[in-house]
Amino acid sequence: MAAGGGGSGDPLAPAGVPCAFSPHSQAYFALASTDGHLRVWETANNRLHQEYVPSAHLSGTCTCLAWAPARLQAKESPQRKKRKSEAVGTSNQTDLLALGTAVGSILLYSTVKGELHSKLVSGGHDNRVNCIQWHQDSGCLYSCSDDKHIVEWNVQACKVKCKWKGDNSSVSSLCISPDGKMLLSAGRTIKLWVLETKEVYRHFTGHATPVSSLMFTTIRPPNESQPFDGITGLYFLSGAVHDRLLNVWQVRSENKEKSAVMSFTVTDEPVYIDLTLSENKEEPVKLAVVCRDGQVHLFEHILNGYCKKPLTSNCTIQIATPGKGKKSTPKPIPILAAGFCSDKMSLLLVYGSWFQPTIERVALNSREPHMCLVRDISNCWAPKVETAITKVRTPVMNSEAKVLVPGIPGHHAAIKPAPPQTKQVESKRKSGGNEVSIEERLGAMDIDARKKGKDDLQTNSFPVLLTQGLESNDFEMLNKVLQTRNVNLIKKTVLRMPLHTVIPLLQELTKRLQGHPNSAVLMVQWLKCVLTVHASYLSTLPDLVPQLGTLYQLMESRVKTFQKLSHLHGKLILLITQVTASEKTKGATSPGQKAKLVYEEESSEEESDDEIADKDSEDNWDEDEEESESEKDEDIDEEEDEDAEGKDEENGEDRDIASEKELNGDSDLDPENESEEE
Amino acid sequence: MVDEETIRVVRCGGSELNFRRAVFSADSKYIFCVSGDFVKVYSTVTEECVHILHGHRNLVTGIQLNPNNHLQLYSCSLDGTIKLWDYIDGILIKTFIVGCKLHALFTVAQAEDSVFAIVNKEKPDIFQLVSVKLPKSSSQEVEAKELSFVLDYINQSPKCIAFGNEGVYVAAVREFYLSVYFFKKKTTSRFTLSSSRNKKHAKNNFTCVACHPTEDCIASGHMDGKIRLWRNFYDDKKYTYTCLHWHHDMVMDLAFSVTGTSLLSGGCESVLVEWRDATEKNKEFLPRLGATIEHISVSPAGDLFCTSHSDNKIIIIHRNLEASAVIQGLVKDRSIFTGLMIDPRTKALVLNGKPGHLQFYSLQSDKQLYNLDIIQQEYINDYGLIQIELTKAAFGCFGNWLATVEQRQEKETELELQMKLWMYNKKTQGFILNTKINMPHEDCITALCFCNAEKSEQPTLVTASKDGYFKVWILTDDSDIYKKTVGWTCDFVGSYHKYQATNCCFSEDGSLLAVSFEEIVTIWDSVTWELKCTFCQRAGKIRHLCFGRLTCSKYLLGATENGILCCWNLLSCALEWNAKLNVRVMEPDPNSENIAAISQSSVGSDLFVFKPSEPRPLYIQKGISREEVQWGVFVPRDVPESFTSEAYQWLNRSQFYFLTKSQSLLTFSTKSPEEKLTPTSKQLLAEESLPTTPFYFILGKHRQHQDEKLNETLENELVQLPLTENIPAVSELLHTPAHVLPSAAFLCSMFVNSLLLSKETKSAKEIPEDVDMEEEKESEDSDEENDFIEKVQDTNNTGLGEDIIHQLSKSEEKELRKFRKIDYSWIAAL
Repeated sequence: MAAGGGGSGDPLAPAGVPCAFSPHSQAYFALASTDGHLRVWETANNRLHQEYVPSAHLSGTCTCLAWAPARLQAKESPQRKKRKSEAVGTSNQTDLLALGTAVGSILLYSTVKGELHSKLVSGGHDNRVNCIQWHQDSGCLYSCSDDKHIVEWNVQACKVKCKWKGDNSSVSSLCISPDGKMLLSAGRTIKLWVLETKEVYRHFTGHATPVSSLMFTTIRPPNESQPFDGITGLYFLSGAVHDRLLNVWQVRSENKEKSAVMSFTVTDEPVYIDLTLSENKEEPVKLAVVCRDGQVHLFEHILNGYCKKPLTSNCTIQIATPGKGKKSTPKPIPILAAGFCSDKMSLLLVYGSWFQPTIERVALNSREPHMCLVRDISNCWAPKVETAITKVRTPVMNSEAKVLVPGIPGHHAAIKPAPPQTKQVESKRKSGGNEVSIEERLGAMDIDARKKGKDDLQTNSFPVLLTQGLESNDFEMLNKVLQTRNVNLIKKTVLRMPLHTVIPLLQELTKRLQGHPNSAVLMVQWLKCVLTVHASYLSTLPDLVPQLGTLYQLMESRVKTFQKLSHLHGKLILLITQVTASEKTKGATSPGQKAKLVYEEESSEEESDDEIADKDSEDNWDEDEEESESEKDEDIDEEEDEDAEGKDEENGEDRDIASEKELNGDSDLDPENESEEE
Repeated sequence: MVDEETIRVVRCGGSELNFRRAVFSADSKYIFCVSGDFVKVYSTVTEECVHILHGHRNLVTGIQLNPNNHLQLYSCSLDGTIKLWDYIDGILIKTFIVGCKLHALFTVAQAEDSVFAIVNKEKPDIFQLVSVKLPKSSSQEVEAKELSFVLDYINQSPKCIAFGNEGVYVAAVREFYLSVYFFKKKTTSRFTLSSSRNKKHAKNNFTCVACHPTEDCIASGHMDGKIRLWRNFYDDKKYTYTCLHWHHDMVMDLAFSVTGTSLLSGGCESVLVEWRDATEKNKEFLPRLGATIEHISVSPAGDLFCTSHSDNKIIIIHRNLEASAVIQGLVKDRSIFTGLMIDPRTKALVLNGKPGHLQFYSLQSDKQLYNLDIIQQEYINDYGLIQIELTKAAFGCFGNWLATVEQRQEKETELELQMKLWMYNKKTQGFILNTKINMPHEDCITALCFCNAEKSEQPTLVTASKDGYFKVWILTDDSDIYKKTVGWTCDFVGSYHKYQATNCCFSEDGSLLAVSFEEIVTIWDSVTWELKCTFCQRAGKIRHLCFGRLTCSKYLLGATENGILCCWNLLSCALEWNAKLNVRVMEPDPNSENIAAISQSSVGSDLFVFKPSEPRPLYIQKGISREEVQWGVFVPRDVPESFTSEAYQWLNRSQFYFLTKSQSLLTFSTKSPEEKLTPTSKQLLAEESLPTTPFYFILGKHRQHQDEKLNETLENELVQLPLTENIPAVSELLHTPAHVLPSAAFLCSMFVNSLLLSKETKSAKEIPEDVDMEEEKESEDSDEENDFIEKVQDTNNTGLGEDIIHQLSKSEEKELRKFRKIDYSWIAAL
């Protein structure tokens, strides 16, 4: 899983930054950036887990990195019946991370402790380390370098176990065979070494440029009839710098064939390669290749023998910004790495800039040949290890969200015409009605025009305005009409309006009722008029129930709060009347009160003192009262503004509790509504 | 392959971390906390768990560093043992069997071979502080029965005991008095807050106590939020106390800093208060710590503090009051209303977290991912305040939609209810509020479910409520000329004879909706919303309802409150079978036909796994938990297992997790404990070999060389090269705090000179004296170093008699000359 180094000047250095997913569950993503920092990210929540700067990070930048195989940790114990033990979940904890540097040293960093664990220097490389591979089982580490050597390290002792010359030029890549007995190295040619004896077992031609990645793709030979010696028949993959072809090679028993079996073609130099090992013959190998141009190419292929034509990818994934506004064009976001999740059905994509990458799990859909994901990464910017005390994410709550309160259409199911058998009749009627309405409309318009000519009273222009406003849906025109407070004017307008505008008017009124309570106060007057004047017309309409359903629901939901409001109203009135009453009694009685018998003690000074104190307190009390009264008045005003139904008790200041019953009684809209419903 | 193994119930994840004070290692690299039967070792830098020390058979109640060897840790448990651990490698060194339940552990550096523990011997609520003598023995298990009684009638909590002034006295608080026991005089003094005051304020009970590390000063915390500092308590009459008051509620814990210059306190305000110089004026605060501070501890090195919080987290705080790391477990502060869910997107477990939040918890890595703030209101922590509760949540359409219900009910009639529908925005990778519905129902919402059928083109949500209705909400296009939006609207309202709707669920293909109305189950067609049929068994209210899946999709299962499990056939509309089972939890497996039911009986909870097509269960496990199981969930496995045995096949594709009443998360495992427990030898252990620094070249190599030389010439030669750590100049340079050192330029020449040998000034006699002086000074040197010095001393002494003048070898002289030539200007530049 090694990736290329971050060489800057060398034209043959692999592109991209060294990075790797932690083995098994891919919980972490380590990335060694060109500024010398090693950053480890949590893949699940895209959080910077830790950051480490090696002491010599400027001279010896990290050129390659590799996670150690997962350290099994004892984390579970059985639950006994007497008292449960607190066993903890099973997880393979990954810990050590090996970093190769440009000066030839290898650092072992412990991600659990967050500190440098050890440094492999003595007897190792004296030039840039190109690739590091951990052995699966033995705890050995293999590294190769520009100094042409391959070194086998004993990690337990931090010492060189073996060092041998791997090639005549620099060795650029390594890979250990699935059974752990062979090692592939790539220098000028690709060589397969027997690890025990350090002898070359096979040669392969390789690439023209330095090989940046080597990987075994199968763990079983394709032909299962033959006895398997652990290596013969296996395929492996190689990618090289500046090479748009990934070659697949097969290890064969005879030593003749040295050229590639097949190849995959991609759009640019491969930067990061991940694959799922196929465990049997039928299962295809899935390959994800991240290219230098920021695209991911996915291949799915069953490896079986030669294929002359280079294969093209089954699917290409690209990521782009949404492109804010109309002018800016979407920009591509480079993908840095891609790793298959353990279920093999989804891919972890790392994209964005290397100092703040975003990690996302994308489900794979093999059918689509091209996936373009639109992602907005402009707002995720936090280049520090998060020391936020609580890992709280706040989901966006903006004003664009739809708000449903009782009474608004959508809060409750829309009332639909219930009986289906009468539908036909209805539709017939409807069509008839429509024809009529067109005629009627024409007629009405004529009449209106004539009327306009005849009368120059203001009331006459109102129906016209209203009709025109309703037809054109002109907000200002409607405002002009509907915002009158004159009840007579409203009555007259409603009387003279053409019949076909009744329903549109009602709908307009409903819309306005749902709005601000203040406007609802005016609309209620209109509604009342319309319903009383045009009740007979409305009752003839066949689809009245669905037409006025929302209005009805609105009324109902508002009326529900009516009881509570009237309770409050009553309580407030009680309070106010009590206050005013006490005020009056005070004002009335205090001067007229005379003691029937006055017993005077000798010390009259004290008395006078008391009186003064009394007066003072009284004054205070009065002031308080006034204040509270005025406050309450305001309260009441507000209350009444909100209360659309209770409009007819505007002069409810001096009432007592008895009025409460009346209040409940004359909610005049209710009965009307019900009558309309039939 | 695993036929002989049995399925066991195992704890997984999110265990309690805030039970007792956390303890720092001497170098502040690690922090230890008790967690159930285990002791967990965390790294203070990375927040990662380094080791889990297991060996206790009951709740671990106390941990302390071994004062004689700071690489070892004592722990005590209710199982009556004290264990000594090597925490760096996670190895159990010794077990001391005490025999009675131990409730807390204290160590004092001065009491060398004994520790202190809280026990209750005779009566259940009378606790005593005893001193336990730990016998020296080479064996692994030692009996430690020698208990000597120190204090009686003390509080059970270790917060109410503190050892002060290097172990001269011990202070204990309980209710309204503070008692101090002096070890030398063997007397106890008792101080009471005057009773008249008790009546007046009624709330000045003691809650915790802390002792100044060097002075005679005791700090006590009280219920009313006051901290009292007691002085002069050697005298029963002349004692004084001063008050510090900032907390508005109970002081939860107190701790003095290592030097004793400042006092730390915390409470439910979730603010850490540092009182400098024990005065009320000099206060420093670290606010917004997220939850009530339960414990405070201080690292022996003095550079870190840590606070344990009620939401199961430990915050590590720098000396300058900056939080540096957070160790967060599964939040267990409050009751779980939402149940367990799996986020289809992150595969994380989702449940109630902090108040008003949903927590996302990764089961794979046993870590909390994040808390999602749903209610978005400031949480006011005050007693008796009725909070908005997040009562229901559901994921729909592969994680694209999240529906949440929050409610606040102050009185029976005054219900505030709100439903929020959140859309997952792929562009910004986060949830965005799409629709907010005030009072979606007139009464509490009892169930919430999305239609998760794959083919359904229109997202559908059903809410069932106690008001007798269920509402169907659909996503509709709300676009107008200004913008393109979608929003949820109510599509259908259904009811059945004014019964309360209690449960709802969609069939797998989304064609049918089942809603239970108390005792009756109604089936509705999801296209026309027509009532198709009803089932009624008259066996009590329906508690759980679910459709069968895959091949069993023609079955509907219902569990009633009277302990009947019914299975109806939807094709024949008849009861297929029923069984008497008091079902508490019923969960269908999303990947198979299996349904897991957990029943509750008087002895414990039992698990039944069955297919709806057969009344006979596939698997039964009795006694999975003694507590009531509240919630359960199937978690699909990433990589399917391949159990061949019939009894375990239900675990192949999913794993079953369940949550008990005490909020411990449990699961089933088939792997034997041996397989999971890897011996330390099998782990990849890499030697620590750290790189060389310039100082290493000067000091370390020198010493190494010296050491080699010693070994070579031990017999016949006297070594006269001064040891680097014995040179006063060097030790001064290394041991004096940086801020009091003179400038490096001044020190440089002295330092370099001291490294050179001069025959004239240093006679052989002076060296051992120097060594002695150094030894006295450096009392904190590690054992190893002491040994080394002793060794050198020995050689020196033996060499003295022979009086051989040491001759430097050529190579050594060369090296020294090289040192002279080396440019030391870099030191000056430091």
